Amino acid sequence: MNPLMQISQLSLQRGSKQILNDVSFAIRPGEITVILGTNGAGKSSLLLALAGLIPAGGTLLLHDTPVNSFSRVELASQIAWQGELPPTEFGLTVHQRLQLADQHGDIESAAERMDIVPLLNRVLGELSSGERQRVELAALILRDAPIWLLDEPTTHLDLKHQTRCLNMMKEQAANGRAIVTVLHDLQQAAAIARQVALLDGSGGAEIGTADEMLTIEKLSQLFDTPLIKQGKVWAPDYGEVNYESTR
Amino acid sequence: MMLRGVILCLLIALCLLVALAAGEQWINPFDAGGQDAVILWDLRLPRLLIAFAVGGLLALAGAWFQVLLGNPLAEPYVLGVAGSASVGAVTGLMFVPESAWVMSVGAFIGAWIGITVVMIFARLGPGRMLLAGVVLAAFWAALLALLLALLPEQGLYRAFSWMMGDLSHSDIPVPFLLAAWGVAVLCGMMLSRSLDLLLLGERHAEALGVEVKQLRQRLLLLASVVTAIAVTAAGTIGFVGLVVPHLMRMLFGSLHKAVLPASAIGGGLLLMLADTAARTVIAPSELPVGVLTAIIGVPVFLFLLVRRT
Repeated sequence: MNPLMQISQLSLQRGSKQILNDVSFAIRPGEITVILGTNGAGKSSLLLALAGLIPAGGTLLLHDTPVNSFSRVELASQIAWQGELPPTEFGLTVHQRLQLADQHGDIESAAERMDIVPLLNRVLGELSSGERQRVELAALILRDAPIWLLDEPTTHLDLKHQTRCLNMMKEQAANGRAIVTVLHDLQQAAAIARQVALLDGSGGAEIGTADEMLTIEKLSQLFDTPLIKQGKVWAPDYGEVNYESTR
Repeated sequence: MMLRGVILCLLIALCLLVALAAGEQWINPFDAGGQDAVILWDLRLPRLLIAFAVGGLLALAGAWFQVLLGNPLAEPYVLGVAGSASVGAVTGLMFVPESAWVMSVGAFIGAWIGITVVMIFARLGPGRMLLAGVVLAAFWAALLALLLALLPEQGLYRAFSWMMGDLSHSDIPVPFLLAAWGVAVLCGMMLSRSLDLLLLGERHAEALGVEVKQLRQRLLLLASVVTAIAVTAAGTIGFVGLVVPHLMRMLFGSLHKAVLPASAIGGGLLLMLADTAARTVIAPSELPVGVLTAIIGVPVFLFLLVRRT
């Protein structure tokens, strides 16, 4: 299938430090790309660059046209970005927050999807981080953009809503949406990824299919941590606490 | 929302009537003739209209500054703009003591410089920016003290009356002030959706299609012009711009389609009432209206600060 977005030799700088160098991959409709990497490796910055929110070197083509030749409004119609939780100082209610995502969208049904109907009239500042994260995901559902860029969408969420969030992403991909998401949980990555990008913090990125990338060798090397098999995927070996020895 | 709108309209009418009738002597606006009519229509009404326009402009500027800086406790006066405008006005008074016009131009330039300096520090982020505003206010106050020490004695009274807010006359014609009020409300309404999106933070606003840099420049220009007009017309009147948008957000929610017109009207009403109180309480003498708004505004500001944390 033709890519919606083609990224070639992308490079990114933070201050004087080169955080990404020569990164190339494609974003296709119906595919979920998961970005994994160490802290500070440039995962969130990569998403911001894809959204056209920070400048980047290299070529970024959206529908075969350079991203920077689109106006903000045009980009917003093509790309939806979910990142940090918005500030709460001005007393917006959940309903108003959702209205800002799309004035004419079906707020009730988006709220239902993310289990926030009882919160609709509450002020954002009164909610927990997990509830606010669900509000942001509902706001995302309201966006009719073909590309979704999500920065740690399952952060702050309890198990029930993590599952709901991942299922929602799978459904959206099945309906043709292209999704790029940063995750930290390897099991979640394995559950949804078609394509995986591993950012190692040295500026390089290794990109391939989920099967190629989610191997014990690559992951334990990337995170510099020994891993054990857990279900279908690899997970860190946290060991067990020996409470007996503390008595 | 509709009901609140109707209540606000009734309140305007009531405030107008009370403000017209009250003063050194109580005059019935529906039955005024002779000298009473002159007092009512030639003295009180223009003054009321100045108060309404200036109050509305200050409240609008406050609402814009708050979004611009991402901080609901921001206000031109808290950020030292009153100080810079006063420095400008007193400088004008020093060089051309007999001209009210030069003093107004000085105030305008001073307000503009104050806002521009504040905006240079706006890049530091909302928290540090407020801190920069506080330090700048201290700087302008020191400069003002220096100028007042050098000012000839006959200029002192005028300088003080201007610095404490004076609605008894305006060097800007009343129709111009009212037109400025109307244009400011219209401009605000045109930007209201973008302003709403900016409440989510710059990144979210950009991702939702707002050209944030361009919007910030427009807002800054609007807020500066509006503040400068208000300060030039009536001297320094603080806290209207802080308190009114806050109250309106509590009453009408946070979206600017409602907050901006409500603030423009609410600010006008508040200043009109404050001025009516200022010229009635110790009649035939008058209290400076800026002193009254500060006496009301400071405790409200502190209350909001505590409530926020």
